[in-house]
Amino acid sequence: MSKEYAILPCNGLDKLAGYVTREIALRLAEETGSEIICPTFYRVSDARYNKVASEKPLLVIDGCGTRCAGKLAAEKGLKITEKINVTDESKKFGIKIGSGLRMGEDEFKLAEMIASDLLREDAIPPAGQDSKSAVIMPESLEYEIYQKDKFIFRLPKAGFYFNENDCWAYVSGNKARIGVTDYVQKSLSDIMFFTPPEVGSEIEQFGEAGSIESGKAVFEIICPVSGVVTAVNEKLLDYPEYINDNPYEQGWIAELELTNFESDKEMLLQFEDYFKIMKKKVDEYHV
Amino acid sequence: MSKQVNIIPCSGIGKVHGLLAREIALRLVNEICSEEAKTECLGYIVTEDQEIADRIKASKCITIDGCPKMCAAKSVANVGGTIAEEVRIVDILKGYRGIKTGTATALNDDGWNIVDEAAEKLAIRVREIYGEE
Amino acid sequence: MATVKIGVISCSGEDCLGGTISRLATRKMMEEVRPGDAVTLCLPLFIAGGEEERGFAEAHPTITVDGCSKWCAKRATERLSGKVSDAVQVEDIIGSEAARGSILSTRQLRPEHLEMVDKVTEEIKKKFDLIVEEFAEQAMTIKLC
Repeated sequence: MSKEYAILPCNGLDKLAGYVTREIALRLAEETGSEIICPTFYRVSDARYNKVASEKPLLVIDGCGTRCAGKLAAEKGLKITEKINVTDESKKFGIKIGSGLRMGEDEFKLAEMIASDLLREDAIPPAGQDSKSAVIMPESLEYEIYQKDKFIFRLPKAGFYFNENDCWAYVSGNKARIGVTDYVQKSLSDIMFFTPPEVGSEIEQFGEAGSIESGKAVFEIICPVSGVVTAVNEKLLDYPEYINDNPYEQGWIAELELTNFESDKEMLLQFEDYFKIMKKKVDEYHV
Repeated sequence: MSKQVNIIPCSGIGKVHGLLAREIALRLVNEICSEEAKTECLGYIVTEDQEIADRIKASKCITIDGCPKMCAAKSVANVGGTIAEEVRIVDILKGYRGIKTGTATALNDDGWNIVDEAAEKLAIRVREIYGEE
Repeated sequence: MATVKIGVISCSGEDCLGGTISRLATRKMMEEVRPGDAVTLCLPLFIAGGEEERGFAEAHPTITVDGCSKWCAKRATERLSGKVSDAVQVEDIIGSEAARGSILSTRQLRPEHLEMVDKVTEEIKKKFDLIVEEFAEQAMTIKLC
């Protein structure tokens, strides 16, 4: 199956990794009919690429730790479907990138291996969706805010259910998406590890649905609903900090097919009640 | 003569990560790579005074950020610095799972071990960049 | 008695000994001297657009603590959130020669450095308490009116 992407490579000319990036982009474009976005042109003019960047899944390819392409995507407000870093990939594949500025056998081999890896059937999910994600979330959420000292705690006002273990569920049809609240992510500080629940596993209400860990503590995610896990937010495996950025949107944890929601919801709180509980916890705990 | 690499830590005061960033930078510039590297004060960089902007632009930079907010990287890029490497403490700490490193005021023994090991690893990159100049 | 939370903003302190002293004194205010009322604001985050740091500084009194005469913390705070309520200059307290000494790792702290930290903390505390007193007087005046 052929997948078409919008590919945004970095423009690295001062390191060989930048040339490898270009080679990967070219190979993918040839194999899949994807469109390559010229980062230099895109920086000075939006018009040419905005449409393709929003319509196709966006693949960002950076050569090194400066992450120019990733930063450009962020500046343009683009939703990144997948991103890779050639320097990290070279370590993964055990191929050292040379120090000159001309591609050699090793660099071409690395480009080929990375491109093949990306073209695997299950490598990149379709546009607008995470792997097997099915819950349709609202376009934007309205939050109520509670502030203590300099810390801001947000809570979505509509559509969410909460348990007293500071986890939330958003129900859509017979599915639910779950996550943790701002109280949890602020208390933990920088989250570094995500252990997801197993896809296919059945979880009872208040059973454990994976865990998240920071330098301060490990937090077990207490599932607000009963169901079978159908998807996990795989992006958190590489970027657990998404939970700190926004635990209700890009930092969601997992999705479940519900098995007993009519009964489960009797034990759950809605916004008004949980907001009071959250404020009390915030006041009592010096974050 | 090669130009010294600028090592810019975020030095965030709110979390232990900021202290780790700071101490790694100091270990590098004061001890391991005292010839190849120097540090510049992030607080001064963001005043955007011409003197410091010129010093930042004159050499390649390695930024060391305590958290994903990336304050050092953003601020150095803002004054026109060239960042050869962005280091994140959270990425370093992923290799030391479960280890407590101290507080934002003082590191414990484990924290200092991490500083020493991370500084030794980063020194390799510092020397690479120094050699390229 | 009415109380007020005050943001204490230290410079990054990477250039000299004064910077290390500034950071440690600020931490001491928050952890020991005025816990719960002194709120440290992270200067790099403040500058890089931290919504929480800036929001707090706009709504509350602030005291900046600078390690040297470049006044980075004071200048940045004034630029990004308006006038500071008060400012501490470490050079004025421990002397410019000491303050401009080589930057110090916390691994190298000696008793004389800790004494410097105490002196600077004492100065921050005086200014802190003055702001609290003024706030209490204002609150009393409003109540009586």
